Amino acid sequence: MTQEKQPITTNSAVPFPSTAVAAEAARDDAGIAKEDTAWTDRPEPAAGLAPITVAAPTPEPQDTAEGAPGRAPKMRADSISVFYGEKQALKDVSIQIHEDRVTAFIGPSGCGKSTFLRCFNRMNDTISGARVTGRIELDGEDINSAQMDVVHLRARVGMVFQKPNPFPKSIFENVAYGPRIHGLADKKADLEGIVEKSLKRAGLWDEVKDRLAESGTALSGGQQQRLCIARAIAVDPEVILMDEPASALDPIATAKIEELIHELRGRYAIAIVTHNMQQAARVSQRTAFFHLGELIEYGRTSDIFTNPREERTQDYITGRYG
Amino acid sequence: MSSAALSRWSGNEMQRRVSKRYAAERRFKLLGLLAVGLSVAFLAFLLVTMLARGLGGLSATFLSGSDSTDPALAGVWGALKGSFLTILVTIALAFPIGVLSAVYLEEFARRNRWTDLIEVSINNLAAVPSIIFGLLGLAVFLNVLHLPRSAPLVGGLTLALMTMPVIVIAGRNAIKSVPPSIRDAALGVGASKMQVVFHHVLPLALPGILTGTIIGMARALGETAPLLMIGMRAFIAAPPQGITDPATVLPVQIFLWSDEVSRGFVEKTSAAIIVLLVFMLLMNGIAIYLRNRFERRW
Repeated sequence: MTQEKQPITTNSAVPFPSTAVAAEAARDDAGIAKEDTAWTDRPEPAAGLAPITVAAPTPEPQDTAEGAPGRAPKMRADSISVFYGEKQALKDVSIQIHEDRVTAFIGPSGCGKSTFLRCFNRMNDTISGARVTGRIELDGEDINSAQMDVVHLRARVGMVFQKPNPFPKSIFENVAYGPRIHGLADKKADLEGIVEKSLKRAGLWDEVKDRLAESGTALSGGQQQRLCIARAIAVDPEVILMDEPASALDPIATAKIEELIHELRGRYAIAIVTHNMQQAARVSQRTAFFHLGELIEYGRTSDIFTNPREERTQDYITGRYG
Repeated sequence: MSSAALSRWSGNEMQRRVSKRYAAERRFKLLGLLAVGLSVAFLAFLLVTMLARGLGGLSATFLSGSDSTDPALAGVWGALKGSFLTILVTIALAFPIGVLSAVYLEEFARRNRWTDLIEVSINNLAAVPSIIFGLLGLAVFLNVLHLPRSAPLVGGLTLALMTMPVIVIAGRNAIKSVPPSIRDAALGVGASKMQVVFHHVLPLALPGILTGTIIGMARALGETAPLLMIGMRAFIAAPPQGITDPATVLPVQIFLWSDEVSRGFVEKTSAAIIVLLVFMLLMNGIAIYLRNRFERRW
């Protein structure tokens, strides 16, 4: 609680919470070892901001924007194009998602970033008339191949949607549904264990532990979204896709979600679509900027926000359009 | 400035305008009340005349007896049991087949010219006059399949044909109204298509499906014409023991008695109408109770 309240009062150049998170992430990305001396190098030492406890970052020496050499990306998209009927929504996009980093997709509305995100767990299959070309790999395996079962793929690549969409069932049932259909728990006690662990990881356990039998739809919007995150992590995915997970939430709930994303990093590869550029700066280490179905720029978040290569990126992040 | 605005909102012109609006509202309310009153009045008239004429005919012998040539001995039990068995056959066939069709068409079938054709056919089928279904039943179930004449089995089959399109249409609409976000959520955690449908979509669509079923069943229960065609108008003096025994149903019984010349049957007709209405009310009550139980919000 203190973590999300503190930053709001600070007057740093980054206008919204978790400044330390973004700064830390940037340092982490730049390959600087996590040492106390590093804090002196920070461009804006926000006074009174204690470093937020962070999942120990894996060292990434010799990091480049394309990913650490010698380390295979978790997911790799290769020249992906998406067509809705005649209209081409996405043009030849290639990107990599890494295990221990948050990758943010930013861009103005209708730029294809959500469409792109939905390629990673083949949710575009459900849209009639949508056609995807190109290759997407999960651990080097083609996800569109005949060997890859879409049900398993979606268990390995979880998704959190824009609008909180809990099932109209009890809180317990919401989280237990995934493990149950995949047979992850044989005994009731195991299932209860998974539910508790997932809710704890989603930071919701303390708020709902006494009312697990109540309907998931009776929770507040922010709680519902964290319930959806708990539901997604209950099946123990390797990748979590988030499609504007905080766009329907108030600032406090948003801060909680961001904090959660930060805690989940390191355990899951995370890709997040967001409209909110500050949010991308705060939670991600990689940022991809999309415009009109094209990938304009992809690189370290710190680079994209401080030193973009493309003029269009510069214009967008400074708010000239979008 | 402010005084000008004040006069604009409180002037005579505005007062008149406002009072005109209220008058229109009052007139509309009156019209609505009149419409409701008219329909209620007809219903009340029906109930009052039926009760006045038929209450005297409701007795233990009437409720437990079967059709007879003597109005004093004639009872409604045989027809009631026939109705019950017929509707049982209808529900057992029309509900599962109708729901499965709706699920398949809405969730699994590819949208192409064939599904469009099927959709149009089903919509048309729902509007076909019931006598046509009676002729169909006569031709197929009796003349081709040689099923027993006058039996609740054949009556139920025929009525099921008639009710199914109604259930399919209502079912499809109910399935369509399940928010896509629920489907996405289930697919997102790795549920298969079948699991999405049976764990999430169907439970949420069930209240709507049941509403359609209630309407279809109520219509089937009151249906006379198609049953006349398959021989359920015969004089049957013993209640049916099973779905293959010859039987008649309440509306047909009412039709038959209303044709009788003997004055004693006038009272019997009204009494049978009361029994039919109560039976219908009971069935709808159960269905509405079920619907409310399954209703959930999202």
